[in-house]
Amino acid sequence: MPSPFLTPGSTSQLEHLALLHLRRDHTVPAILRLHDDENPGYKEGNVTNTRFGSFPHSTLFEQPWGSQITASKVDTGSRGRALPARHLKKRKANELDSPSGTPGDEYGDSSKPTPTKAVAASSGFLHLLCPTPELWTASLPHRTQVVYTPDYSYILHRLGVRPGSTIIEAGAGSGSFTHASARAVFNGYPTESTSPKRRRRFGKVCSFEFHAQRAGKIRDEIHEHGLDPLVQVTHRDVYQDGFLLDDPTTGTPTTSPKANAVFLDLPAPWLALKHLVRNPPSGAESPLDPSTAVHICTFSPCIEQVQRTISALRQHSWLHISMVELQHRRIEVKREKTGLEFEGVRGANIFPRNVEDAVQKMRIVEERSFRFRESLGQEDAPQSDKDNDKTTATTTTTTAGQQNTRDNSGLPTFIPTSGVENIPPYAQGRLVHRSEPDIKTHTSYLVFAALPREWSEEDERRCVEKWPSQNVSDSLQQQSKGKSKKQMKREAKEQHKAEQEGKTES
Amino acid sequence: MHSSVRPNQFVILRLPSETTKVVQIVPNTLINCGKFGAFPANQIIGRPFYLTFEILDSPGENQSTHLRIVSAAELHAESLITEGEGDDDVEVNEEGLPLRTNREIVDDASTQKLTLEEIETLKKESTGAGRDIIAKILESHSALDQKTAFSLAKYTLRKQKKYMKRFTLLPMDVSALTNYMLESRDSTPRGMELRDEIMSLIGSWGNVHHGGDTTLQETLSKPNGRYLVIDETGGLVLAAMAERMGLLHPDDLEEEENGVPGQQPSAPDEQTEETTETQAQRKQRPAQMSAGGNTITLIHANKQANTSLLKYFGFDQNSPDESHPLFTHLKTISWLQLLDPKSDPIYTEEPPIIPDSELATLKTNRRAAYHRKRNRWSRVQSVVNEVRAGGYDGLIVATLMDPESVLQHGLPLLAGSASVVIYSPTIEPLTQIADLYSTARKTAYISRKRELEEQRHPGIANGQDGEHPELSAEFPLNPTLLLAPTLETARIRHWQVLPGRTHPMMSGRGGAEGYIFHAVRVIPTTGFIQAAGNPGRKKRKLTSARSTATPGSTSADVEMKS
Repeated sequence: MPSPFLTPGSTSQLEHLALLHLRRDHTVPAILRLHDDENPGYKEGNVTNTRFGSFPHSTLFEQPWGSQITASKVDTGSRGRALPARHLKKRKANELDSPSGTPGDEYGDSSKPTPTKAVAASSGFLHLLCPTPELWTASLPHRTQVVYTPDYSYILHRLGVRPGSTIIEAGAGSGSFTHASARAVFNGYPTESTSPKRRRRFGKVCSFEFHAQRAGKIRDEIHEHGLDPLVQVTHRDVYQDGFLLDDPTTGTPTTSPKANAVFLDLPAPWLALKHLVRNPPSGAESPLDPSTAVHICTFSPCIEQVQRTISALRQHSWLHISMVELQHRRIEVKREKTGLEFEGVRGANIFPRNVEDAVQKMRIVEERSFRFRESLGQEDAPQSDKDNDKTTATTTTTTAGQQNTRDNSGLPTFIPTSGVENIPPYAQGRLVHRSEPDIKTHTSYLVFAALPREWSEEDERRCVEKWPSQNVSDSLQQQSKGKSKKQMKREAKEQHKAEQEGKTES
Repeated sequence: MHSSVRPNQFVILRLPSETTKVVQIVPNTLINCGKFGAFPANQIIGRPFYLTFEILDSPGENQSTHLRIVSAAELHAESLITEGEGDDDVEVNEEGLPLRTNREIVDDASTQKLTLEEIETLKKESTGAGRDIIAKILESHSALDQKTAFSLAKYTLRKQKKYMKRFTLLPMDVSALTNYMLESRDSTPRGMELRDEIMSLIGSWGNVHHGGDTTLQETLSKPNGRYLVIDETGGLVLAAMAERMGLLHPDDLEEEENGVPGQQPSAPDEQTEETTETQAQRKQRPAQMSAGGNTITLIHANKQANTSLLKYFGFDQNSPDESHPLFTHLKTISWLQLLDPKSDPIYTEEPPIIPDSELATLKTNRRAAYHRKRNRWSRVQSVVNEVRAGGYDGLIVATLMDPESVLQHGLPLLAGSASVVIYSPTIEPLTQIADLYSTARKTAYISRKRELEEQRHPGIANGQDGEHPELSAEFPLNPTLLLAPTLETARIRHWQVLPGRTHPMMSGRGGAEGYIFHAVRVIPTTGFIQAAGNPGRKKRKLTSARSTATPGSTSADVEMKS
C-alpha cells in the first residue's frame, strides 16, 4: 500500500491518513473510513467532530488534496445510540460496496440505509491536507519529548541522509523523527518482486524503542501510514543489546542494518556507542555500513550528557566531532496601528501619530475646555478682560492652522494629518514583525561526528597499484601552473563565448 | 553514498588554518595547498573521506612526497593536549588558589626567542610535516612555564594551525558547499547568504523528497515529486533539492551509476557486474529533460539559466553529461516561455521535417544540426506544455525579484496541498508577502468577492467562481490560495566541548540572518463559506440556531484565520 506521505496521488483515499487542518498549529489526523465500528452512532457514518463543525468522512474522501471542505449538519445528539441488529447486518454487506460508490449514490438508493448523505452546514470549514512529516509533527499524539521540524531538518541534513540511505534511530519516542527520516531515505518501496540481481539499494529506517507500549504504538502508526516497507521498528534496549536486526526466522539479533547514519535520542548515548563500532569486540557483525563513512548525531538536553558523549566518541575514534545548538524562531507579522483616528479599532494604539497630531489634539482640547468654561461663565458672571484677550489669541492660532473644522455645535473636531479614509482597513497601519510570544529557547544540544570507512594496508596497496602515486604528468601540470586566477577566468570566458557563438551560428 | 574519492570529482580540503579549499581531483596532477604543501592527486584517488592526511617528504627522492593517515587517537590527543593525568581541574596551591594565572604574563612578543628569519629557515628545512617547527617554537618560548594548561594548549594549537602540513579530505555535498560559499567572501552575493540550517528548513517545509523510481511512477495516478524552483543563488538551492531527491550525486542512484564516461571505477569489484546492465540502459538514450516524475523545473529570468554551482557535482548545463541524473530530471524554462510562449522563437518555430531519404544525402554536420534543432524544439515544446498544465507538488523560491510577482504566476501552477517556500536573506520582502495573506485581507477578499457575485447574479448567494476584474485589481494575489502562511528563521550556535573548557564559540559570522516564508496551497470552495462562530449581531442569531453543529465554538473564535 503506497504511503500518503510519500506518494499521495491527487485525491484523498479511503483507509488512508488525511490531515484535517482547522487552524494554524491545529491539525487533526484522521484515517478516512466510511464506517466507524467502535462508534456506530451517526446516520452519516464515521464523523470527525471539531470545534469548527462536524465532518462526515463521506464528505472527505476522493477529494483533491488541499480542498476546503464545508462542515455538515450532523445530529450529534444521536451519538452512542446503538443501531438495531438488523441494521448492523446490512451494514456489513454495505461496507463491501461503499468504498467504490460515491456517497451520493448511496443516498439515492434507499434500500441501503447507511450512510446518509451529509447536509452542508451554514458555517464552519476545514482544509483537507495530504500528510507531511511537518504537519504530522505538529499534530501527533505526544508520548515523549518531540523532535521538532527545525531540529530534525538540520540533523538529517547534517547526517547526509539521502534517498537510499539506511538510518538507525534509537529512541523512536513520538515518531516525528521516524517520519521525517522515512521521507529522507525514500527512493521507492522495496517489494518482493524486486529481483536480487538489481543492486539498487532502497532506503531504510531502523527504529529502536525500549518502551514496549511506545514501540507497539509506533509500529501501528507506521502501518497505518503505509510506511512499513521503509521502517522497521524493534523493541529493544540498545544499551544492552545493540543494533543488529532480529532475524525473522530465529528471532535472534544477527542481521546488520548496514547503517550510513545514526541518530541517538537517548538519555545516555555514551552507553550505546560501544555497539556502534567497525569491529565489535564480541566478534558480532558491525551494524555500520562497511563501505561508507558513518555519521552520527546525538540529541541531549544537558551539557553534562554532551561532555560524556563526546568523551566516549573520542575513545571510539569518531572524527569531526562538533556540538551545536539550534535556535529557531517563528515571526509574527502584523499591522500596527497608531493614531488618534483609530478610535474604536481593536488592537490599535489611540495615540497621536506624530507631533503635528499631538499639537492639534491639544489645541482642540484647550479650545473645548475654554468653551466649556466660557459657557459656565456666561451662566454665572461676565468675564474679565484678560480672558477675552486669550480667546482671540486661541481662535487666531486655530484658524491659522486651517486644519480644524467644526462640528454641529461649533466645536472643533480632530482631522488626522494623513488621510486614512482611502486606505482599506487591512492595509492601514505600519507593517511590523516580532518573534512569536512563546519561543523555545533550548531544545537539545546536537553532537555530530563521523566515522570514516576502514582503510587497511591492503586497500592502500591496491589503490597505489591503480593510481601510481608519484605520477604527475608534466603537460597537465604546466597548464594549471603559472597562470593567475584572472587569466584562467578570462580564458574560460573566451571559451564560453566561442561556444555560445557556435550555438547561435548553428 | 560517498565512500571514496572518484577521479575528476570535486572534493573539499580543510587546511590546518580552518580554511576550506575546493579542488577537482584530476588524475596525474599535483594538488597545491599553498603554504601547507602540495601532493600528487593520485595519492588520494580511491581513498576514503573524512580522513586527515599529513604531507611527508619521501626520504631520498627529491621533491617527492607521500601521505600519512593521521589516526583518530593522534588527532584527539592533540585537541586534548592538557587532558591526561586528571588535570581537568585547575591546578591549585595549598591555599586553594590557582597555581598559575595570567597575572605575571607580559603581553609582548619578547617571550618568543626565535626570530622570524629563524622560523623561515626552519620551515625550509623541516621534514616532519611541521611538527619539529612547533616543538622548536615551544622550546624557545621563555614564558612557557608561566602559562596555564589552557593557555599552553591554545598556544600549541595556534602554532599547529600555522605550521602543520596537513589536510582533511571531505566530500563535496550541499552542506559543505553552502558553508564554503558563506566563508569565501567574494562569492557571497551568488549564494544569497544561504546558511546550512536555513537550507535544511527549506527542504523540509518544501516537502522535497524522492518521488519514487520509474517502475513505481508507472503505477501512480499522476507523476509524483514534481517541483518548481526559482533559484537565483547560482544553483545552490537547486543542488540542495537534487540532493534530497537523489539526483545530485551520480553514485547515489546506483541504478544509473557508472559515473562519467571514460572514468575508471574506483572500486572495481563492486561495479563490474553492473556494467552490462548500465550499457543496455545507455543504448536507449533518454532525451534531455524527459523524465516524468521526480523532477525539478527551474524557471529562470534570463535566456540561460544560471546553474553554475552544479559544476561541483559534475553537471554543466551547457554541455550536460548524459549519465548524470539531472540530465533527464532537471528541466528549465524561462518566464517568457511560461507566460507568453508565442513570443519565444524556439517554442513557436518548428524546424521543418526533412524526410529520411533527403536526410541521408546531407552532410554529417548538417544532419547533426538538423537533429539538434528538432530535439531542442520538441524539448522546449514538451517542457513548456508540461509547466503550463501545472499540477506541481511544490514551489521553492530564492529570488532577487519581487516575490509577489513570482507567487502571482507560480501559485496557479501548483496542485492542492503543495507546499510553497520562499527564502530571503532579509525579512522585509517576506513580511510584505505575509501581509498579503493576512487574516484581515483574506476576510476583505471573501466579502468583496461575495458582493461582486451578488451584483452580477442578484439573488444567487452561491455564485459561480467567475473572474472579477475589480477583485483582481484590488487584490493582485488571491489571499485564499495559501493556508497557514508562516515566517521563520533558525540559527546555529557552535560550541567548544573540551574537558573543563566547554563554552559557546567566541565569534561567528554576521551578515544576513536569512528567513523563510512557507505556506500550503489550497483550493478554496467555489461556494460562499462562512467561518464558524463569527461574531456580529446579524450572525449571532444564526449561531444560536446551529449551536449543536458547532459545539466548541464561542463568539470570540473568529476563524477566518487559517
